[in-house]
Amino acid sequence: MSAAEAGVRDILSVNKVSKSYPGVVALEGVDFAVHAHEIVGLVGENGAGKSTLMKILIGLVQPDLGTVSLRDREVVLRDPADAVRYGIGMVFQDGTLVPNLTVMENLFLCHERGFRRYGFLSTGQMRASARELLARVKVSVDVDTPVAEVSSAVRQMVEIARLLWLSRLYRQENPILILDEPTTVLTEGERDTLFSILQSLKAEASIILISHRLQEIVENSDRIVILKDGKNVTEIPAAQARIADIEQAMVGHAFSADRYRQDEQREPGPRVVLNVDGLSRAGAFQPISFAVREGEIVSLVGLVGSGKEEICRCLNGLDRADTGTITLDGRILAPGSPHDAVASGEGHIPIDRRSEGLALAMSVAENVNLLVLRQLRSLGLISPSRERRNAQRWIEQCRIKTPSPATLCANLSGGNQQKTVIAKWLSSRVKLLVLDHPTRGIDVGAKDDIYRIIRTLAREGIAMLIMCDTLEEDIGLANRLLILKDGAMVRDVPCPPRGKPTPADIIGDIV
Amino acid sequence: MSASTDRETQGINGAGGEPGTPTRGESIRARRAQVPAIGIAVGLLAVLVILFTLGNRNFLSLYNLNTIAYYAAILLVVGLGQMCAILIGGIDLSIGGLMSFVSVVFVVAVKTVGFWAYPLCILIGIAFGYLNGTILTRVRIPSFIATLGTGGIMTSLALLVSPLPVDAPASRYAVLDLVNASALGVGNLLVLTAVIFVVFFVVLRFTVTGRGIFAIGSNITMSWMSGIDIVRTRNIAHILSSLGAALAAIFLSCGQFGGDPTLGRVYILNSIAAVVVGGTALTGGTGGPVNTLIGAFVLSTMENGMNVVGVNAYFQQSILGAVIIVSVFLTFDRSKVAVVK
Repeated sequence: MSAAEAGVRDILSVNKVSKSYPGVVALEGVDFAVHAHEIVGLVGENGAGKSTLMKILIGLVQPDLGTVSLRDREVVLRDPADAVRYGIGMVFQDGTLVPNLTVMENLFLCHERGFRRYGFLSTGQMRASARELLARVKVSVDVDTPVAEVSSAVRQMVEIARLLWLSRLYRQENPILILDEPTTVLTEGERDTLFSILQSLKAEASIILISHRLQEIVENSDRIVILKDGKNVTEIPAAQARIADIEQAMVGHAFSADRYRQDEQREPGPRVVLNVDGLSRAGAFQPISFAVREGEIVSLVGLVGSGKEEICRCLNGLDRADTGTITLDGRILAPGSPHDAVASGEGHIPIDRRSEGLALAMSVAENVNLLVLRQLRSLGLISPSRERRNAQRWIEQCRIKTPSPATLCANLSGGNQQKTVIAKWLSSRVKLLVLDHPTRGIDVGAKDDIYRIIRTLAREGIAMLIMCDTLEEDIGLANRLLILKDGAMVRDVPCPPRGKPTPADIIGDIV
Repeated sequence: MSASTDRETQGINGAGGEPGTPTRGESIRARRAQVPAIGIAVGLLAVLVILFTLGNRNFLSLYNLNTIAYYAAILLVVGLGQMCAILIGGIDLSIGGLMSFVSVVFVVAVKTVGFWAYPLCILIGIAFGYLNGTILTRVRIPSFIATLGTGGIMTSLALLVSPLPVDAPASRYAVLDLVNASALGVGNLLVLTAVIFVVFFVVLRFTVTGRGIFAIGSNITMSWMSGIDIVRTRNIAHILSSLGAALAAIFLSCGQFGGDPTLGRVYILNSIAAVVVGGTALTGGTGGPVNTLIGAFVLSTMENGMNVVGVNAYFQQSILGAVIIVSVFLTFDRSKVAVVK
């Protein structure tokens, strides 16, 4: 084995694995190895095959060709329970804990046998073990708290602790933890904690890290493996990796330096579209006032708990504010009414497009037309030809890649689903668009399309409130940043095209 | 991630800076989605017709076809209503009680107010549907429970109005001729049913409310956030459901020249069966009137055909049950529903 010659030991190696689905080759002769005591970063666009590869490792999917070797022995992983017995476990994006059970119960769920005393479970022993396990991942939380009540960061740690415990239970040294987009649900502080814990876990485990945030991959992994179109592209030591090179390898071509299309940023028009006056909601944010002008992109920046999400929920009518008014284009919105907000010309690109943005079982055309059906009527009934024309038009404008307007949204990629959500709002002629993490979980190429659309909207005079995945994205896209902390606005930072602040300039205000 | 991986692996190929180019697999699946469940259901219907005809040549006689059409028409009218409740992601268990109630009230009203019995019973249906809708949307009780309760109330009200079947007086048969006569060469019942079908079809396919019903059934959170009036739309869906049941009860009572306080009992499950056999998912959002039309024909063909061929009466329910399971297996589009529960 080549790795052995190099002096490092392969705990896991995947050899020439291929997997096809009807009509699609997901993996084609992929090699992948995990060394002992390392963090390996796995990157690739959506559809590059990362998920399929991980599914093979946890036994959800069987490869068509190729083998998996664990600790120098060839193994067949039949199902996730099998994988756990071999010391491979995955922490999923959305978490897999049972929310109404306690932290302790979740830790040992389905594997409580060892705690039996006289046929009953000894909660005292379970509690002691739970505390010891959580201490290893530096979490201090009452083990009897229901999981529903702890933060996402703690949940993640509980899952990691559980996987470590399981591998110990099955006497597997150097377990392999797979973390899929672990930081999307974390605040910046929690993210740093996570990575420092992961670094310390290297002493006893190997970690596969999957993330769309290349920065954290580069900073925290020892080695980076890049997949593209189901094949290995390259593998580089993280120490010498440059993000631009990784992106180029992922996508197949280089990106311009002007990532966020700052050259296209325009000075906003004079007309005020949105005016928020003294808006507050108890326990969420203190009275806040601001205005957004036509064609202006205002970014709300702050940690989770800063109140920015709650402000947007009030703006969209999903929550009711306690005090203050929201004026859209001269009209005061009825509080707590999404219907009135939409009728007044406010659109909302939700963070979770699958559950809040789209009717997945309906076609692209039906989703795009959903809000403008009234305008597509003739003689009181929806006209199929006008419907087709409207859908076609917005599919082209937003560059939605779909085999046909009648394709179900469930069958589109994440990026194209997001474009469908945007098309739906654009076709309804919104005046204000609230974009809640519009590029989350979208690959690099589709991100660029979204940025392009945002710039076009601004040019057309649509006011935008945006919350981004990264501070760089906030700064790059926005005309102005509103920085929020603990439910209050602390700073209003202008971001002109050639005078953008750096993240370092404002990070101090955020935390 | 769990749900997105499927799409990620099968759907999209991010080649050459063109992420999102539909791959071959995706277009195949899209085409598969366009072979409607309806096609499969029609195939099933054709197989049934052939089998029954082989069993008894008289199955395809004009007289028997008319009998099938009569059964199918009643089932279709109830089924269209039930379908609306199911499409928004709910269910209507109250149609049985409502049908029984409308049946006896209709006949009593025919005795006293003559033709006014028709609008009266239709209004009862609409008001009752609004009540169901309001319990769901304002009191916020799931339609399964709400309609179980209101249906029980109507069942007992029907028995209070008349504990035994009542006959319409022969002197008033002219009133019933609105349904029973054959003005256009076929029974008026079939013509009226065709009109009702077209109305449901148009409402669901070509009106904003109809589209709202599908959107809510597919994703109620999104619909609410997109400003769709979910209270109004869900109320309307329940009104349509009760309206179908009331009309079917009127038709049945006319055909039987009398009211029956237990008339609706069998239609609770039969209407749901007609809807799902046609390929409408119980989870809501997918399906439609054409599906229910075929579902109603499959069920009435089955029921009639088994009699015509001479299947043991005690054995018929098991065959019917098996056919329901098989046809839902064939028509149910799993690609549209994430988890089968």
